[in-house]
Amino acid sequence: MSDSQSTNTMRDEEYRGRLDLKLWGRIFGHTRPYLKQVIGLGGSGILLAGVETVTPSLVGLVIDEASMNGMTGRLVTYGVLYAAMLLFMCYLIWYFIVMAGQVVTGVGFDLRRKGFERLQELSFSYYDRHSVGWLVSRLTSDCSKLSSLMPWFCLDICWGLSLLCGITTAMLFRNWQLALMVLAIVPPLCIVTAFFQMRLLGTSRNMRRTNSMITSSFNEAIMGIRTTKALVREEANLDEFQVLSTKMHDYSFRNALHSAAYLPMVITLGSLGVGLALWRGGFLYDSAAAARTLGVSDAEGTLTLGTLIAFMQYAALFYMPIQELAQRFTDVQNAQAAAERVQSLLDTVPEIQDTPEVLAAIASSNGNGDSSMPLDGGDEVIKSIEFRNVSFWYKEGESVLDNFNFRVHAGQTIALVGATGGGKSTIVSLAARFYEPCSGEVLISGVDYRERSLHWLQSNLGVVLQAPHLFSGTIRDNIRYGRLEATDAQVEEAARMVNAHEFIMEMDEGYGSEVGEGGTLLSTGQRQLVSLARAVLADPQIFIMDEATSSVDTETERLIQSAIEAVLCGRISFVIAHRLSTIQRADVILVIEAGRITEQGSHEELMNKRGRYYTLYTRQFSREREASVLESSENGRSA
Amino acid sequence: MLYTDPRSVIRLDGGSLVRVFVNCGLREQQQPLHKRIRRLERLVWWIMLDKARKIWKLLEGQRLRYAGATAALIVASCFLYLAPLVPQITIDGVIARDPERASPFVKRMVELLGGQSFVADNLWLPCVLILGITGIAGLFTYFRGRLSAKACETIIRDVRDRVYDQLQHLSCSYFDKTETGDLIQRCTSDVDTMRNFLSMQIVEIGRAMVMLLVPIPLMLAIDVPMTIVSVLLIPIVSGFSFVFFIKVKHAFKESDEAEGAMTTVVQENLTGIRVVRAFARQEYECEKFEQKADAHRRLDYRLYYILAWFWSSSDLLCFTQRGLVVGAGAYWLATGRLQVGEYFYFITAVNMFIWPVRMMGRILTDLGKALVAFDRLNEILDAPRETMPTPDETPEVIQGEIEFANVTFSHVTSKEPVLHDISFRVEQGKTLALVGQSGSGKSTIVNLLLRFYDYQHGSIRLDGRELKHIDRQFIRSQSSVVMQEPFLYSKTLRENLVIGRPAAGEDEMMEATAVAAVHESIIDFDDGYDTMVGERGVMLSGGQRQRVALARALLADPAVLILDDALSAVDAETEDMILTALRTRRGRHTTIVIAHRLSTLLHADEILVLHHGRVVQRGTHGQLLGQKGLYRRLWHIQTSSSAASDDAIVPGTTTSQAAENAPA
Repeated sequence: MSDSQSTNTMRDEEYRGRLDLKLWGRIFGHTRPYLKQVIGLGGSGILLAGVETVTPSLVGLVIDEASMNGMTGRLVTYGVLYAAMLLFMCYLIWYFIVMAGQVVTGVGFDLRRKGFERLQELSFSYYDRHSVGWLVSRLTSDCSKLSSLMPWFCLDICWGLSLLCGITTAMLFRNWQLALMVLAIVPPLCIVTAFFQMRLLGTSRNMRRTNSMITSSFNEAIMGIRTTKALVREEANLDEFQVLSTKMHDYSFRNALHSAAYLPMVITLGSLGVGLALWRGGFLYDSAAAARTLGVSDAEGTLTLGTLIAFMQYAALFYMPIQELAQRFTDVQNAQAAAERVQSLLDTVPEIQDTPEVLAAIASSNGNGDSSMPLDGGDEVIKSIEFRNVSFWYKEGESVLDNFNFRVHAGQTIALVGATGGGKSTIVSLAARFYEPCSGEVLISGVDYRERSLHWLQSNLGVVLQAPHLFSGTIRDNIRYGRLEATDAQVEEAARMVNAHEFIMEMDEGYGSEVGEGGTLLSTGQRQLVSLARAVLADPQIFIMDEATSSVDTETERLIQSAIEAVLCGRISFVIAHRLSTIQRADVILVIEAGRITEQGSHEELMNKRGRYYTLYTRQFSREREASVLESSENGRSA
Repeated sequence: MLYTDPRSVIRLDGGSLVRVFVNCGLREQQQPLHKRIRRLERLVWWIMLDKARKIWKLLEGQRLRYAGATAALIVASCFLYLAPLVPQITIDGVIARDPERASPFVKRMVELLGGQSFVADNLWLPCVLILGITGIAGLFTYFRGRLSAKACETIIRDVRDRVYDQLQHLSCSYFDKTETGDLIQRCTSDVDTMRNFLSMQIVEIGRAMVMLLVPIPLMLAIDVPMTIVSVLLIPIVSGFSFVFFIKVKHAFKESDEAEGAMTTVVQENLTGIRVVRAFARQEYECEKFEQKADAHRRLDYRLYYILAWFWSSSDLLCFTQRGLVVGAGAYWLATGRLQVGEYFYFITAVNMFIWPVRMMGRILTDLGKALVAFDRLNEILDAPRETMPTPDETPEVIQGEIEFANVTFSHVTSKEPVLHDISFRVEQGKTLALVGQSGSGKSTIVNLLLRFYDYQHGSIRLDGRELKHIDRQFIRSQSSVVMQEPFLYSKTLRENLVIGRPAAGEDEMMEATAVAAVHESIIDFDDGYDTMVGERGVMLSGGQRQRVALARALLADPAVLILDDALSAVDAETEDMILTALRTRRGRHTTIVIAHRLSTLLHADEILVLHHGRVVQRGTHGQLLGQKGLYRRLWHIQTSSSAASDDAIVPGTTTSQAAENAPA
């Protein structure tokens, strides 16, 4: 499955369909590394069933022995046997929980790791279609659901089936007539169980769906609070919410009713088995006793009180394995949507990856050298980047770039200007090979970059985005992200280069200060400076900057400006530019509109043309002056 | 202090409670120990009583149902324990053919059924009896389930409704200081925890008690020593599980935390995936993730390991209890003290009560979680609502005359005033414009006018009435506001539009959307006015949302219309169209306009230039242009640029019409 086709799974959160055996086969395939544990689980399930089958019989034997022969040595033996069985059972319980723990945590870990690694490879088009929150819950709740389902499924299937077989065989051996009598309750037990489990499956699905609607209602109530107040919608909203909460009430109530009815029903059926055993068994015992008094020992009729009691215990036990089996199958049904989502993530093939030839080249060149970088044997220095007849679209028929051509040489800065949605970011993403052209090619030093290593190209990138993303950790960690082996001194040097050193030193912990999740403990300007330092430390050959438009104070802006100049020096730089200073000093300015270059040239050339660029420039010029007027009046006031 | 009113401690978490205990001990060292202990006891009782009271209050309206459920539970348990009596009697009194040895009780029961030989010939009778008794027990079990489910679901529905209602009536400042994620979690997962408590835990505790208490008289009636043997280990079983779960609480917590840490790594990685790719740090990230995932795996496995010990050893206890019954019973059976049927009865009874008892410890520890969730919910429910004083006299309709006199306002959280000494007056049907950079207090004026916040000093008058004395909802119903980032409900466009005036006709709606220049965009959608907005439908661009919100406001035809930077994402050309159309409605509303583009404000009757919460300039456009100052400078900058541009595309902040419709 290509990663562009998995969109439909996103909407279809709730899978409603038949059990997909092929899918489950593949999901259970993930337990292969834990085959030993799974076998252990199955084995302990069978042994457990065995012990549970023997216990009622043993109690029966005890009864017969005690009531007929009084206190004997055999009774003591039985006692010891019973104690040994109980101990064994407790050991089995300990054993299967430990085994299940190994499988649950192991498979969960494996699924998560595979999923995470796959996410690192998937192209951005996948991320465009799936929200971060959605992806996170695939790796967390879906993986937990699946991994905790599997071992218990294995255990209970083995246990349930062998217990059913065991009880049936034990009864048939002891007395086949009585056994058939008791077994008569099995078909109705199965029918009742199937009926209720189906109902429960339906209501619990409805509950989940309604529950997620309730969650989004709460979300809406909080996000839209001012609008609600302004429109005086409180009552109307509550009315609508009450419809939902009543629906939830109804579904939950119905669900509870089904479970409230199910258990008494199967227990009553079980008691019917007990009653039947008593009726038929009493009769058999009676005739056996009569035969005994007559001195006739008839094998057909041998029935002791102990056997009778054992039968009654078996009959009462019958519903348990059936109920458990049904429960496990319901679990599987309920988890099918999760299974599908996780498996489809693992099956998604990254759209952008190294070709087999490149992989072979990497393998051979890595064999020679000891470079940690996966070099593909090609030229390491980037001399130029060229777009040749590049077209690109996210959706067929809605072209974002159309037959796009241009060329940039080492040391040049390219400014991209134009309206939002015109295709500026797309050009940059194509240059970084975050996306690949739909037609045409991007050449690096004259070679199609699809013939080069993806990792090599992206190791040579430095990217600063409009909303800079930092990882939680210290400032030092974040700067070092650009080059992991950099020393503290090098980190500091990079920070000095982009004028970040001063503000960092002013913080309580200096370079050791925490930035918070997503960098929230720093201001936007500070985050930009740190991310610039990070890019500088990486010392990339290609530098990409989506220039921030968010307003930062003048002082920080001045710092950022000079920092940017330091960074751009001597590299191939793509800048999505808004600030005049950046635009003016660019070597080439491209005006991008509707996926085409409408104007191209240096600042002077384009200004003389008095075209689109001139308009944009003057508009921006007034914007910056306006800002400076507001700022200066502020300064004038505070002075 | 804390001693005198123990209730003040109740809101503290466990950790601080311990600190309080310790502190009390230190501070009052001179007091004799027993006195201190007694005080501590009283404190603990207060807390427990308070919780109990709160839970009792929660059950209001459903107490009868719960009482019914309890009664049904008792009846059901009685019958459930009666059922094994039937085989006992049948075996001892009928089948065993040894009626002399049977207890008098059994003899009487057999007599009742028609005598030994009659029953022996009609063995279907006990069979039907068993079925009947179990059936009745089942029926009552069902009743219990039904009643408690009804009670629980009704309470939970009520809680959900109350929380929702409360959320909508909390003041805006409450939302300023709370996190959305936390609120949502309280409204959803905390409610679920409560539901679990009400539907499972209360019921289970009751069941365990009843299941344990009901058979004891029956067992005692049969044989006293045997009964004692049957319940010998019960205190150990329940105590063991309770102590165990308290002891391993931290292991659960650590595992949860490890999972949280792992989730954070995933979250951060996916949010910053562009950075990861840009530095080609995939391997590094994988290692980081693996580390966290492995920590989670280890802690989670440790939990399984601990639980393995718990379940196996508590099972051992339960089995031992059963073994004791089997063994002691066998001995007494052999010595002739016990009958076979009686023996059977004890084995069955032990099996019935031992498992619920074992679950008790687990449930009791889970109870703590439910109480925490309950407290967290109560924090929302107890938060003060927006006060709704009954107005002295509610005006029939608002004319729309607004007056601010020396209004000063600061947020609760900071001392620095956001507005200083603001005064102005807008006649009915006139337009007031507010100019200034962001943070200068423009939106605060609007927020005060709509009574989202209450002003501290000065006075605001609407039609000459003090705003504080007019009902909030009435003010809001008489005015419409269009915000810079308007919120649309996830309903159809039509439903969103008519919210302001549900009775509006189709043509009125079309007129409003025409004025807001959004009609064309709407009919371009496949479903036109019936297009769903939001997650389950189309995502509108910022400009489209603003125009829909404007149409919604216009349709309401309010006395006061507020446009708070409402056209910032609309391109200049469309904005001109809208402004021209709006001018035809002049006089219908008292209008307050906030805008960055001064051309928007040209026709305002008065313009206030705000700076840092103060009015620095005021007058009409003409007057302000004649003065030296901020306004004139801004105007010159803006006009000199617009002269050079036509429907220009502006990089960055302003999205053009073209961009809106371009494929993303």
